[in-house]
Amino acid sequence: VTVPRTRWLRACEWILAGAAPVVPADMRRDWMREWHAELAHRATRQSHAGLPLVVRSCGALAHAAWLRWDRWRLEMLLQDVRYAARTLIRKPGFAVITVLTLALGIGANTAIFSAVRAVLLRPLPFPQPDALVFVSSTTVAAPTRAGGAASPPDFVDWRQQNRSFTELAALYASSYALTGVGTAEQIPGATATGGLFNILGVPALYGRTLDLSDDAIGGADVAVIGHGLWSRRFGSDPSIVGRTVMLDGVERRIVGVMPRGFAFPLESELWVPLRLSERELATQRGAHYLEVVGRLKDGVSLEQAAGDMNGIVRQLAAAYPRTNRDKRAAVHTFRDALVGDVRPALFMLLGAVGFVLLIVCVNVANLVLTRALGRTREMAIRTALGAGRFRLVRGVLVESLLLATIGGVAGLGVAIWAARGIAALQRGLDIPLLDQTRIDPVVIAFTAVVSIAAALLCGTLPAWHTSALGQLAQRIRADGGTGTGDRKRHRLRATLIVTETAVAVVLLVGAGLLLRSFMRLTSVELGIDTAGVQTFNISLPETRYSQPMQRAEFVSALLDDLARQPGVDSAGAIFGLPLSNTRYTISMSTLDGRRLSDEEQDRRSLQVRVATPDYFRTLRIPLVQGRPFTASDRLGAPYVVIVNETAAKMLWPSESALGHQFTLGTRMGQEGANAGGVVVGVARDVRDFGARVPARPTVYLAHAQFPVDSVAVTVRGGAGSSLLEPLRAVVQRHDADVPIFRVRTMEQLAADAVAQPRVYMLLLGLFAATAVVLAALGIYGVLAHAVSQRTREIGIRLALGAGRYSVVTMVVRQAAGLAIAGLTIGLGLALAAGGAVQNLLFGVEPTDTTTYLSVAVGLLLIALAASYVPARRAAGVDPVRALRYD
Amino acid sequence: MRRLSITAVSVLQAIANGFEYGFDIIDTTGLPSGTVYPALSRLERDGYVRSAWENDARAHREGRPARRNYRVTAAGVRALADARDYYQKLAGLTRVKA
Repeated sequence: VTVPRTRWLRACEWILAGAAPVVPADMRRDWMREWHAELAHRATRQSHAGLPLVVRSCGALAHAAWLRWDRWRLEMLLQDVRYAARTLIRKPGFAVITVLTLALGIGANTAIFSAVRAVLLRPLPFPQPDALVFVSSTTVAAPTRAGGAASPPDFVDWRQQNRSFTELAALYASSYALTGVGTAEQIPGATATGGLFNILGVPALYGRTLDLSDDAIGGADVAVIGHGLWSRRFGSDPSIVGRTVMLDGVERRIVGVMPRGFAFPLESELWVPLRLSERELATQRGAHYLEVVGRLKDGVSLEQAAGDMNGIVRQLAAAYPRTNRDKRAAVHTFRDALVGDVRPALFMLLGAVGFVLLIVCVNVANLVLTRALGRTREMAIRTALGAGRFRLVRGVLVESLLLATIGGVAGLGVAIWAARGIAALQRGLDIPLLDQTRIDPVVIAFTAVVSIAAALLCGTLPAWHTSALGQLAQRIRADGGTGTGDRKRHRLRATLIVTETAVAVVLLVGAGLLLRSFMRLTSVELGIDTAGVQTFNISLPETRYSQPMQRAEFVSALLDDLARQPGVDSAGAIFGLPLSNTRYTISMSTLDGRRLSDEEQDRRSLQVRVATPDYFRTLRIPLVQGRPFTASDRLGAPYVVIVNETAAKMLWPSESALGHQFTLGTRMGQEGANAGGVVVGVARDVRDFGARVPARPTVYLAHAQFPVDSVAVTVRGGAGSSLLEPLRAVVQRHDADVPIFRVRTMEQLAADAVAQPRVYMLLLGLFAATAVVLAALGIYGVLAHAVSQRTREIGIRLALGAGRYSVVTMVVRQAAGLAIAGLTIGLGLALAAGGAVQNLLFGVEPTDTTTYLSVAVGLLLIALAASYVPARRAAGVDPVRALRYD
Repeated sequence: MRRLSITAVSVLQAIANGFEYGFDIIDTTGLPSGTVYPALSRLERDGYVRSAWENDARAHREGRPARRNYRVTAAGVRALADARDYYQKLAGLTRVKA
């Protein structure tokens, strides 16, 4: 049959010819015939020929690929898996070691990924979470920083003028003492405007959420409670809606219960309305304490919203230059605002654990290669019986897949266990959402992908190489064998070891840098003595402690009583406990009687703390000048303050601070007096915000003169926790409706402050240690094999008079060669990758010479140690036996 | 028994309707050739269709090589009926929901 062969038809035939080799051989003829016939049939009808026919013939490629895949799948499942399983069972040692190493590598990757997913990837539990944003009030100096609080009048202006959000809401984290039902308990929560729940888009489980009607001044005292509080304190009783409870001494009607899992801000269990009075809106433009959240309108991007907000901010700056000059606004998604800081650290860990898996794979590849030596004969026989190279490659690949699958399943087990551990770390680490770490379907899919990748990584090279063994063995038989293939294989193994060592070096350098950084961090003097200090917070309800005198007397009497308890050395109280992350910065308004200009005020703002007389003694903060507060510094007496060294240096660089006086722009005193007073003491600096942040200029006001209602009590005694119950009892005795909360020792606080760097260091250290052990095993394996291969050569050398020493040198030189090659590449890579840890370092440069040198020397020593056994074995070769053996 | 995909049902239905050659099935279903041919091979592997070569004489008369034709088997007829039932039910469900 002749069909007119047009240009188009020829193109179709080329495509068929290209696809044909992919089709399994036994089906190829029929396949070809069918496609030809169809094309020819069309070609004979001129109207159907042409480009569409070429396009249609491309389907032959997909068809061929499908047929090959279908055949392969069948065979693989039936034959290769059975064969691989049998081979592995025959050598269980190899299988067990490989599966265990892979399980650890895959498990560690899955565990870290599950944490990354919880913190950075899993959608937040709100409808369309990507549209949820925080709007921060920022400054020109750091215009895009997240977390800046807004003032009430600014918030109201933002809400009215913006065009980007469906709604804006303001809130601040607060806590309320729940009294009148069992033991008094301080409940964490938020005071929020009614729009909040609308923005979040979460309805109440029972009753209603707060809404805009709750914002009205003079509205009913209502509250919405969280699921945890509802089940813990109210026995999950739905009829709780409509009942009243005492919160901070105020009767509030519960109007709604939120569903399980709802907690915004994190850990909140209670929401009460935020009501902004006319007076607040008129006077508080400089008071920044409101967090602002919103939901972007459809189609509005973050950048557009930020542009819109900055337009409003500029108008406000023009209208209120005194408070709003240099202000900016930033818009961040919830996710960014919550966890933006930990993102680099988590990705660094994910990268590091990926490196560990790479090393695991290289090691397994090496094991597979070593094992292949024992299979030369088998491969030769299979080749002789007609197995193609492709078939042999596939066999080894299936074996790796089988190993990786078992390793993956075991790894998932490791990860489930590790994920629980990671979730439990949340409290100490303070990484938001980390407690949500768990193995979900996405994590399982990740494990599957990682396992397959691992199988390919550790299977491909050895598979290809092993398949060559079949041909090699035949060649050896033909030409007597010169062992060139062996040399090639040795080179491949050496390359693998160098790769492994290089990756281990990168991890070691990273771990070393973090270790040195951590040592620097923990050696920084915080300025307080944390040992043996118990702390807890109390908050006096405004209803019963509305008068400053009442609050001053309560705290003073409580501290006196606490100090008298057996085992207690001293007791103090402070607003703004070190390491508790309390930010309260106020600018100075007068200095030595002179009113400061706006610009001077901006440059002179102080961190405000309010302390009782024995606070300094309790935390052992020495006074470098002057005196501590005394009992005579009370309401009615002249106002006195203590400043820290940084403040003294900033304000009076060349003279003593004592005797100077100043006031701050906040009316905290009696009858609206500005906070401030005469400086009577200069205290040693305290790093309130942890070792990384130098002490800020700080002023301590006397609690008896500025009796704030919420303080942290600090008690110095012997053993920390044994003090706690008696202390709790004392507070109860003074007022049963004042619960103690945030109960911690100062040592815990100090440990928590460095918990993140500690965990990063430990994890990276663990990864690096694993990497080094695997690399050392790799080096050992290569050398041991080299020595066993060269037994005859070594025997000849010894027989010809070479000394044992020179044989040892030969082996050691080989180890050093591998290590130095790995080191050179690894150190180069580490230098290039230094940026990944830069943000996590404190007081150490990513190029720190000491770290690099230590790693280099350490790794060389390890490599030499790994060569010890093979070197001894080489030196112990008996020339006579070695020669006879061959 | 595994349920047939929409593609498989379309191809099977096309054969049942009398379109028994690969390219004719492509034309009638509107599916690409890279989808129809693997589907045909799979249906044949699973026993839902059977293929044979057409009579050489007829092809010769038309001046072209013989084509391969496909027929639905008994198992294919059953599978097609099942699948039709299923997809009809599914369509019903979707309507109720909408």
